[in-house]
Amino acid sequence: MDKLMRNKKAIILFIAPALILFTAVLFIPVCKAVYYSLCNYKINYQPKYIGIKNYVMLFTKDKTMAIAFRNSMFFMVFSIVTQLVFGLILAALLTNIKKGRNLFKNIYYLPCVLSSAALGLLWMFVFMPRLGINQMLASLGFFNGDCTLGPQWLFATDGYIILPIWVISFVALWQYVGQSMMLYMAQISGISSDIYEASYIDGCSKKQSFFYITLPLIKPMVATAMSLNAIGSLKFFDLIYNMIPEGFLSHKADVIATHLYTQAFKFSKLGYGSAIGVILLVLCLIMTVIINKFVKTESYDM
Amino acid sequence: MKMKKFLAVCLSAAMTMSLLSACGGSAAAPAAPAAEPAATEEAAPAATEEEAPAAEEASGEVQEITFMIWDDLEASEDLITKGYKNSVDRFNKDFEGKYHCTPITTNLEEYYDKLNALVAAGDTPDVFIASPGANLNDYAMTGVAAKLDDYLNADGWKQTFTSDAVFAGGTYGDEGGDGPGIYAIPLNIAAACVFYNTEMFADAGAEVPKTFSELLDACQKLQDKGYTPITISAGTAWCLSMVAGYLCDRNGLNLQDIKDHKTDWKDEKVINAGKQIQELSKYFQKTAAGDDNDVATAAFYNGEAAILIQGSWAIGQINGSCAEGFADKVGVFAFPAVDGSSADPNRVIAKSDSLCMSATTQYPDAAVQLIKYFVDDEASKYTAEVGGKIPVTNVQYDEKVAPPELKYVMDVFKGASSTFGFYNESLADTEAGSTFDNCFVEIFKGEDPATALDPIEDYYEMNVWE
Repeated sequence: MDKLMRNKKAIILFIAPALILFTAVLFIPVCKAVYYSLCNYKINYQPKYIGIKNYVMLFTKDKTMAIAFRNSMFFMVFSIVTQLVFGLILAALLTNIKKGRNLFKNIYYLPCVLSSAALGLLWMFVFMPRLGINQMLASLGFFNGDCTLGPQWLFATDGYIILPIWVISFVALWQYVGQSMMLYMAQISGISSDIYEASYIDGCSKKQSFFYITLPLIKPMVATAMSLNAIGSLKFFDLIYNMIPEGFLSHKADVIATHLYTQAFKFSKLGYGSAIGVILLVLCLIMTVIINKFVKTESYDM
Repeated sequence: MKMKKFLAVCLSAAMTMSLLSACGGSAAAPAAPAAEPAATEEAAPAATEEEAPAAEEASGEVQEITFMIWDDLEASEDLITKGYKNSVDRFNKDFEGKYHCTPITTNLEEYYDKLNALVAAGDTPDVFIASPGANLNDYAMTGVAAKLDDYLNADGWKQTFTSDAVFAGGTYGDEGGDGPGIYAIPLNIAAACVFYNTEMFADAGAEVPKTFSELLDACQKLQDKGYTPITISAGTAWCLSMVAGYLCDRNGLNLQDIKDHKTDWKDEKVINAGKQIQELSKYFQKTAAGDDNDVATAAFYNGEAAILIQGSWAIGQINGSCAEGFADKVGVFAFPAVDGSSADPNRVIAKSDSLCMSATTQYPDAAVQLIKYFVDDEASKYTAEVGGKIPVTNVQYDEKVAPPELKYVMDVFKGASSTFGFYNESLADTEAGSTFDNCFVEIFKGEDPATALDPIEDYYEMNVWE
């Protein structure tokens, strides 16, 4: 086998499928997107090179981009913090319960495997002014029994971060916390029980063992989960698209991905949309680098 | 060892080949439509007349065409949509073994996004529906839609239409991708009117208003009587924008003046329209900001609100999905004049559903034949007698059978001095239309019209006037 792996022809042949696939479906489209981002390119028209005009427009004159950037940053921070906290709590609880572990694991993970489009519609109905929560609260006597007087969960536009963004962040947490939980559980279950037993012999409480043994040992997974959350929330699209129909909030609930969609497909500005896509790509790369740099991970033999 | 090496090399080669063959598979798929230019290429010209029949004759098989529309032909309760389904079914039945049409359906909100994606992917439907305006402009001017003059003139088809004026929205001059001509066939005309519940009006002692102040008075009386005066959707922004368009027009705004930059979006007439929207919004249902068009119209159809400002396509919905007897309670009046304005108060917003043929269709004869089924006598009679829309052909229909609301709309239409399009479809492009919609949603929510109009003003500064 070693001899085979030193054979350059064999190495090339082994790498070829993945390399061709990567080049065809990722590398070439990304390069083309970068080129189109420098063009005035509308559907059905020839792309025309305009230099960095699209980027200048995006950073200086596009007010929706500023809103989308703010909302995306909020989603990212909210998602990283809440999924880290709640994912860890759930993972710690589930690894310590003796009965029903698999049942709860499946329950918490279930939303992850469901279609975001279907969930988006479902939650939209839950938060509609005349349906769901408002109707339930009205039937309990809130809002003088009139559901139309309840909060406009998905349509209020007051505040720096508007209510619909908080609502969608909550739904995203509900949907994806199971994924973080599974990652942490996988790492926790890999920690040898000898370490815990040794700590208990030394007088460690369960709480202390969590903070001084579990947390340090799952740090590599924390970095991975944070990177996944950061990238996932920056690319966040489907729930917003399905929960807030286009045009409902005059783009005040836009994130970078929905702004890209609107510009590229609604207004057929493929060049401008590509520029937004390139910015999104760069943001994802920057976040991954930052997280990997600042969340120091060390390998331990567990 | 040599055997192992040989096996490894063979395996890698097989993997590579399977990957390559998988990539190229779709190109050879039998169901794939004719290759169209990729989005990056120059838009291809329409298939020439010499090429097209050759393609048809060569196949000798059933000519399969696609038709894209903004409603679900199977599930919709809308009577006009049911009429469209009937036309497709008749076409498929009459041309069984020769032509076959497969509809592609989607909801209205996503229609143009999906159509644009199909166009960009080189998979333009053979026949597709469009409204005259910014979207149709793009299709006609870039060679996506085919010029239809030859087909219209070929066998007297054009003479079956009421007048050449019905083609105005789909006619392009030199800017047309295929030269001057007609790029879209209108199917019917809808006029935007004010539908009202006659029982509620009578109960509240409200009169049919002729002016904006009378409309406010009527709304006040209805509200005092405990009714929701107006149901409207600000969520589906074009609904509110339709009212905004009427108010701008009634205040005397001329869109051409805006386009030519003789005036701008901060014109007093637009500001006044914004203030009037805010006055009128006191009488909207409480959830207008969050209700979509379906929810808002349902409030009128269910007898929860007294007034619905809507296109006359509402007649098809009123007669298709409302409780029996409700249609008899519905009256129609023209959008009122603005007090003190010298603008013509008899102009009506009108729009038509129009059909385009893809310039790259393999089977233009089949596509044109399908379009003819949408405007033949049977379809046009249905349009008037069942759907309640205004037909565009010289068909004789039984007025007694047609929904009574159609007569009211026809009265409004006959009394109109001229028509104009929906504002959001009549501006420079789709983004300008969307920006206009959003500005008026913000005004409705209480923002000062002078500042709420900044985005549309900025958009025109950057993209239209420069």
